[in-house]
Amino acid sequence: MPDDQTGDGVNDSLLDSLYEAVLAGNADIAVDSTRTGLGAGAEPLTLLFDAMIPALEEVGRLFESGEIFLPEMLVSARAMQASMALIRPFLADAASARVGVFVMGTVAGDIHDIGKNLCNVMLEGAGFEVIDLGVNVPAADFVSAIIEHHPDAVGISAFLTTTMPEVAGTIAAIDDAGVRGETKILVGGAPVNQEYADRIGADGYAPNAVSAVRTVKTLLGI
Amino acid sequence: MATQSGVTMTISSRDRVLMAIDHEAPDRVPILLGVSNATGIKMTPYRALKELLGIDAPDDYLYDWPELGTAAIDEKTMRRLHSDVRGVLDLEPARVLDRNRDRPPHDDYIDSWGSGASEIKPGQWFPMVHPLAGATTIDEIEAHGWPDMEDPTRVAHVADQARTLAGENRYAIVATPWLLFPLERAFAMQGMDTFLMNMALYPEFAEALLWKLQDVCKQLMGYFLDALGPNVDIIKIGDDLGTQQSLLMSPDMYRRVLKPIHADWIEFIKDRTDAKLMFHTDGDVFPLIDDFVEMGIDILNPIQTSAGKMSDLEALRDRYGSKIVFCGAIDTQRILPLGTPAEIRAEVGRVIDILGPGGGYMLSSVHTVMDDVPAENILAMVDAVEEHGRGASR
Repeated sequence: MPDDQTGDGVNDSLLDSLYEAVLAGNADIAVDSTRTGLGAGAEPLTLLFDAMIPALEEVGRLFESGEIFLPEMLVSARAMQASMALIRPFLADAASARVGVFVMGTVAGDIHDIGKNLCNVMLEGAGFEVIDLGVNVPAADFVSAIIEHHPDAVGISAFLTTTMPEVAGTIAAIDDAGVRGETKILVGGAPVNQEYADRIGADGYAPNAVSAVRTVKTLLGI
Repeated sequence: MATQSGVTMTISSRDRVLMAIDHEAPDRVPILLGVSNATGIKMTPYRALKELLGIDAPDDYLYDWPELGTAAIDEKTMRRLHSDVRGVLDLEPARVLDRNRDRPPHDDYIDSWGSGASEIKPGQWFPMVHPLAGATTIDEIEAHGWPDMEDPTRVAHVADQARTLAGENRYAIVATPWLLFPLERAFAMQGMDTFLMNMALYPEFAEALLWKLQDVCKQLMGYFLDALGPNVDIIKIGDDLGTQQSLLMSPDMYRRVLKPIHADWIEFIKDRTDAKLMFHTDGDVFPLIDDFVEMGIDILNPIQTSAGKMSDLEALRDRYGSKIVFCGAIDTQRILPLGTPAEIRAEVGRVIDILGPGGGYMLSSVHTVMDDVPAENILAMVDAVEEHGRGASR
């Protein structure tokens, strides 16, 4: 890992173009800018921290303030993911770029994942390594993932009132297995709220992807 | 008539509904249950209800569609629920129903549009089959095998059923052809996240797909309305436009892309029937209610009180109470599944006190009564209307 070379090999207009592409949700331009930057010897962390992450933060701000809605946020997340696919190989040994490990999943019996996937992108943009277990995830798989990955935080999502009890069941399974340790558990999804989160012993609740990042950072003291 | 004080009136369920829609105070707040998926009860709580009530009736499904999981409620139970409405539905073509009935167990359910559901655990089906998931061009829209709306088995039963109900003149008739909604259909064809992204990435394609879907919907709606003739009081359509916290898309995108399509859809229906138009949309849609009124929507359903500003029933009543009829408002995310019967009675009383006076409100659950709702809670809800809704609607 070379010393910090912020600014080397990449000019402001390229960073601007990458920033704008993520903000506007243009995956083609985001990928082109990322490729061009990397080809010109840009430091991957520069692209990430000086363009992609600020763009994603702006997307989050616009979403929370009601200036953009799901379609725009989804395309920004898609552009971010496309660029991240190019950046990610360089991050493998860049421990400095990682603030924590986050295991995420939608509970057993539920296949809703739009909110969960947005959380994943926002969390990755905030520096987390996200391990996505997908949808319809049995409690035992959450337990196994905690044993395997030692995450700093676990996100459990449910969209239906009928699958919401699985959130409590998953937390109970994690506790019963004795693997919770210092891992923080966040819960979310349409019917879930703070009161429910408190009742089932979650550490945090987030109503949307932007708030999920804020909540987990607070919980971890980042 | 209902305002004659001191006189015990007996009015029919149908009159009760029609008065509420006309913003006149009926003898009690009308109850709309069991006539469509969004006013329906899932099979598990329906079975529990029948057991609790000692009613012997078959486990039939709405739309003859077990994978949807919503019960076709028998007449005895409908009466015990004090439901003031009876439903008329369409059907998928007989050959599609047969094909699905005869398919190997646990295989995907596929409808006549090519979209469908997968079983993720026994008896739990989710809409996961999206035949146009990868489409982004007009050519792909044209090339899709669109459903045959000429098939007479879709509506063969409709005329007789509606005529019989109208002849009895007892209950208001609510007609709900399955998912003849352009946005929901687009979600079914592409997946919700994919289509929402395409609205941003490929707006011409997205708009063309919505109009194409609406054209196909119109073919069936035309036949359906022909079969109903004058024997219908409420036509129910809709499109989910809200989320738990706000709108699914910006008001600007709604007004630019979808509103003209909805306006055209409503005009098409109103040109062909005198029935009142009920529009179903989940989530917080408060910022769009003026648009709904402008387009001629008569009744808004389901008033998801757990979503954003829809919780502010006083504001809804004060701003829109004279312009639109509210239907729904009994929470299914917390109150019905988790509340005690006493809490449910209190919530029904609260909602009726706000929305009930002077008519303009019809009580229903906010969307389907799901598997987690105890039968006792369903009865607590409807009995509370009988107890509380009589005086309060005056």
